Amino acid sequence: MSAFICSVTETIVNVNAAPANGAQWVVLKFGGTSVSTRPRWDKIAAIAKAKRAQGKHVLIVVSALSGTTDKLKAICDGHADAGKCRAVADEIIARHRAMFVELELKDAGGLDTWLARLERLLADPRRTDGTLTWQAEVLALGEMMSSTLGAAYLTASGVATRWLDSREHLLSEALPNQSAWGSYLSAQVPTARDEALITKLPTLGEIFITQGFMARNAAGETVILGRGGSDTSASYFGALLDAEIVEIWTDVAGMFSANPRSVPNARLLSKLDYEEAQEIATTGAKVLHPRCINPVREAGVPLAIKDTNYPEFAGTEICAAVADALPSVKAISSRSGITLISMESIGMWQQVGFLADVFEIFKRHGLSIDLVSTAETNVTVSLDPTENLVNTDVLSALCTDLAGICRVKVIAPCAAITLVGRGMRSMLHKFSTILAEFGSLRVHLISQSSNNLNLTFVVDESAASDLVPQLHDLLIKAEAMRVEDSAVFGPSWVDLYKKKLVQDAPWWRARRDELLKLARQATPHYVYDLATVRAQAQALRGMIKAVDRWFYAIKANSHPAILREIVARGFGLECVSPGEIAHVREIFGDAVDILYTPNFCPRADYAAGIAAGARVTVDNLHPLEHWGELFAGREIELRLDLDFARGHHDKVKTGGAASKFGLSLNELDEFLRLARQHDVRVVGLHAHLGSGILDAKHWKEVCAQQASIAEKIGTVRSLNVGGGYGVPARADEAPLDLAAVAAGLAEVKAAYPQFELWSEPGRFLVADAGVLLARVTQLKRKGEFRYVGVDAGMHTLIRPALYEAYHEIVNLSRIDEPADELVQVVGPICESGDVLGNHRRLAAPQEGDVILIAQAGAYGAVMSSDYNLRGRATETVL
Amino acid sequence: MTATPADKFADPRNAQAFRFVACDFDAASGTASLSYAFDDGPLLTERVVFPDAPTLPHEREAAFAQALRLLHLVAGVSYYKAGIPAELRVETGALAADTAEFLHELYFHGLAEFAYENQLDLGERLRFAPVQSAGGGIGKQAPALDLPRRTLLPIGGGKDSLVSVELCKSINEPATAVWIGDSALIAACAERTGLSLLNIKRRIAPELFEYNRQGAWNGHVPVTAINSAILVCAAILYGYDAIAFSNERSASSATLEYLGRQINHQWSKSLAFERLLREQIHAHVAADLDYFSLLRPWSELAVAREFAKHSQYDAVFSSCNRNFRILGEHPSDRWCGQCPKCHFVFLALAPFIAKPRLLRIFGRNLLDDTAQANGFDALLEYREHKPFECVGEGRESRAAMHALTQRAEWREDALVARFAHEILPQLDRAALAFEPLLAPHGEHYLPARFAAALNAPL
Repeated sequence: MSAFICSVTETIVNVNAAPANGAQWVVLKFGGTSVSTRPRWDKIAAIAKAKRAQGKHVLIVVSALSGTTDKLKAICDGHADAGKCRAVADEIIARHRAMFVELELKDAGGLDTWLARLERLLADPRRTDGTLTWQAEVLALGEMMSSTLGAAYLTASGVATRWLDSREHLLSEALPNQSAWGSYLSAQVPTARDEALITKLPTLGEIFITQGFMARNAAGETVILGRGGSDTSASYFGALLDAEIVEIWTDVAGMFSANPRSVPNARLLSKLDYEEAQEIATTGAKVLHPRCINPVREAGVPLAIKDTNYPEFAGTEICAAVADALPSVKAISSRSGITLISMESIGMWQQVGFLADVFEIFKRHGLSIDLVSTAETNVTVSLDPTENLVNTDVLSALCTDLAGICRVKVIAPCAAITLVGRGMRSMLHKFSTILAEFGSLRVHLISQSSNNLNLTFVVDESAASDLVPQLHDLLIKAEAMRVEDSAVFGPSWVDLYKKKLVQDAPWWRARRDELLKLARQATPHYVYDLATVRAQAQALRGMIKAVDRWFYAIKANSHPAILREIVARGFGLECVSPGEIAHVREIFGDAVDILYTPNFCPRADYAAGIAAGARVTVDNLHPLEHWGELFAGREIELRLDLDFARGHHDKVKTGGAASKFGLSLNELDEFLRLARQHDVRVVGLHAHLGSGILDAKHWKEVCAQQASIAEKIGTVRSLNVGGGYGVPARADEAPLDLAAVAAGLAEVKAAYPQFELWSEPGRFLVADAGVLLARVTQLKRKGEFRYVGVDAGMHTLIRPALYEAYHEIVNLSRIDEPADELVQVVGPICESGDVLGNHRRLAAPQEGDVILIAQAGAYGAVMSSDYNLRGRATETVL
Repeated sequence: MTATPADKFADPRNAQAFRFVACDFDAASGTASLSYAFDDGPLLTERVVFPDAPTLPHEREAAFAQALRLLHLVAGVSYYKAGIPAELRVETGALAADTAEFLHELYFHGLAEFAYENQLDLGERLRFAPVQSAGGGIGKQAPALDLPRRTLLPIGGGKDSLVSVELCKSINEPATAVWIGDSALIAACAERTGLSLLNIKRRIAPELFEYNRQGAWNGHVPVTAINSAILVCAAILYGYDAIAFSNERSASSATLEYLGRQINHQWSKSLAFERLLREQIHAHVAADLDYFSLLRPWSELAVAREFAKHSQYDAVFSSCNRNFRILGEHPSDRWCGQCPKCHFVFLALAPFIAKPRLLRIFGRNLLDDTAQANGFDALLEYREHKPFECVGEGRESRAAMHALTQRAEWREDALVARFAHEILPQLDRAALAFEPLLAPHGEHYLPARFAAALNAPL
């Protein structure tokens, strides 16, 4: 198993350095939630037993029961208030007594000793002043109690476990410039292989349990290791025992390539080197405290993160750098609440000591600088959102002092977006799409560390929300995040934790023979499956009950058979031109409701829509200003630009100032004035802000914003939340959570029952229903690239060239052969952009093979052109 | 004769009369039904639901009936405004002269902004004549009901009512946080108060929306007056002797003048309305029910300073009027950053809250965004009139902005720098002093047990 390769290597190194005496140690650390219930303790017992069965010696390091450390801290913080201390202590006592009962333990002696100690500390005269020694002793009680309960329970469960006092083995060191607070409550322990301990422990037992979070100092007093201290304790013990591995057991499988809360497709990082892990822990991942990495790195002991609930998941293993690893971005993270201090001085040029003066002021105010960037006349630094910065006047005092030597400006709130991965510099050329994304934002600072591990962009915080999922996606597409490297990237969070949606095999696999027959008649050839259209329409209507009226945006695919299928499912039709209206009227007569949403069209187009009896949408002042009489006495829909945009590519974003669609909100009052003047009634608000949206919150946000605007207009009866329901293109993308979309819209509807909700999906209904069949024309090899020419091109399907859209491509003729040739699939058009798929794996294509391009039901045939006069594709409906 | 839909919803602007048809209370469901109509048009029935309504003690029945009637008359303003017909017909019994006078004031001032926006002259139309003289009312006193000593504290999700919550807690006043409607945001704030909670539901007659869609008159209504009347009913029903709103001093100042009259967007939050409603309560409902505003002696700035002391609401409160009911996860879901309320609350808190904390609350720095210049100019009453919103006085905004020009961490921000260069030289510096604006003063109706908490002169 690849996960153990590096630990084996390390063991060999250690054997060379200092022969071990046979006993191989594993250190297992369990956090608060892992020690708070009996079933969790049973898991700990099982894990320890399994290690023992492999012949290992086991040291278990535990945190306090969930919430206990916070309560002990509350006693420390409220030390002067005896009543409050008593009340909190009673909660702690009750919690541990309950745990004792839950574990069905017999002898309460061990626990009672610590509870008595708590009583003594409450009565201790040091409490009045809250002295640091007293606080450290109070805080240490949580782990003392949890380890005592654990030792008793594990032994009672047949896993004989010996209790160790961790303070006997971890000795803190005094650091220069360390405050008294730091030396007692944020202590550090120097560690090295402890031969005596390694020799002694195996004579005492096989499985041991001890406390995280604490140590002793040279004077023999209890000290605390600070936040993340239990992980750090495990690392210290790993170093002392020269362990084979330190395993941090927690409630998540490991570190991910992004925060899974915002990026469900984030991939588990199976393997990281120490430096990368440190960087990721520092810039975002909460699973591991960055402090715990250094001790194991120095000792060369690998550290693994494992999920207590799913011991079978591989987890993350952190060890020394592997020399020949592919350079890859491993993770992307975002930290918000960053404050930038920009200092401007004309006198700075070659002025000796300016930076020293500046940094001295930061030091004086106790503020620690994170990022720094300098120019000839400017120094900009970043500050993290510490308690001190947010809740005290320190920033004001700092700026007052800085103003004495330079012009100072605070830029905030900002977010720092960091890419982490060894070999960052060699990947810069792959970042064009990433940089394009940042190009539309105000980037205040860019920092690339010279250790070649990270690249950080600081932008406005408001612009950063939702940016990380997008960048994560772009990194994969740009092949800067090499998720195909299975030695490094494990499964996605969704795959691990979400019940895996059984992805039905696509319809075209089952109907392959029919498709091959159609391909013999003609290629290129669009084929549509009406059953898929029906299923998608039913899924939307069935799931999203809050929407009262549905319209299908026919521009996605206006084939008459598809329109009939969709209209039969109760949809109205949304048209954008007189041509589309004529097309619909020709098929359906007046029997279908038309929503008409033209954009930058001539006056005559509105007249045509009105004449055809369509519901007309206006999205600009111009028509009312200049052609007001055309709309007089009528009802119209108003398309607004809600000023935030989403979507999978610049050209499919339809909101924001850089988009031509929608009335800007600050022109709304003028629009309503013109409407009143011409006796025009605004009865609907419309917003459609992008396509291919997979974030389920989007529609709720749009709708809530529309509702609050509509309420003030008064005449509005319907809110059209647009479409944009995303269809995942790649196998690793999670489908849109329609239930979450439905819940969000239902919430808005409950708050604003007076409005009807409308929606106008297009691509969602038809994308998966269509495929494009093409025939292989020629093959070419050129350098590393292998080209497969097909008779379809950008004139047939322009989405890859126009939007960099991804369409799955398979060799339909050889569907059962392994898809192992890496190829560029290209068309016959005289344009270098005529590429249907980059770096695709196909079953070895031969001239005449039928290639299937999936998800071509939307914006396929309707966007095809006569470019190069190659003619249009045939269309067939199954 | 069957009415066609078009007949059924005949344009209320052509109606002859607005009718107060009926009001009743279903004790089992705790539902008050308030019915109105234009001429013989459809009945417009608003419902107010008091959850877990207790059985009304016998000695409070008469008072509750009076409170319900008052609510019916007050809440009619939302419906009346759809057509503003010349005749106001109260069909639920005689209208005392003082009540007619009260209603006239409420409808006239409470709809002043509506009239301005729609270019209407209510003075010509509004007639709340007593239907018949019901023995006057001047000097009449309702009996005392010996109501339990505890306070109903309406909260709105904004900073003001949360300051009141903390003031009540600081003097150990038994209080219940009450809100009307379905706002997830207010519910989230309410939960953080640690007080007992009461959520009253209000369902506006759906026909009113239909009238609005068909082009009826629409605009601002004095919603605080309606909520106040609902809470008078609640106080009698559940047993509270005090209703403490959170309107501060500036709520009494006019927003602009139109047709020679003062228009105040927040008239129903003014001291004038407070006095009128108190008189109605004491004359007709209960002598021992106190209705007042806890923050009345304070300026907006003083309220902001107090709010700065409590950070537990930072992630949930919002005073923004645009994104109000739906609770989102980002600051931009609670603060649109574009409206006068966002501008004012940002500016008023800035002198009192650490800058990083303020920026965390709003998610952006409005004072470093040149696109917001006009919005802040309006607050400063610089080239613009004060916006039609519940915002502080111009001199408060000017004093706050001036204070920021003295602060190193603020003065380089685009709009603060612009104020310093462009606006400040035109202002009388003596009028920019901060401290006088923070001292409590002015008229108020605070009961003694609250006055001390605000250092207010009794």
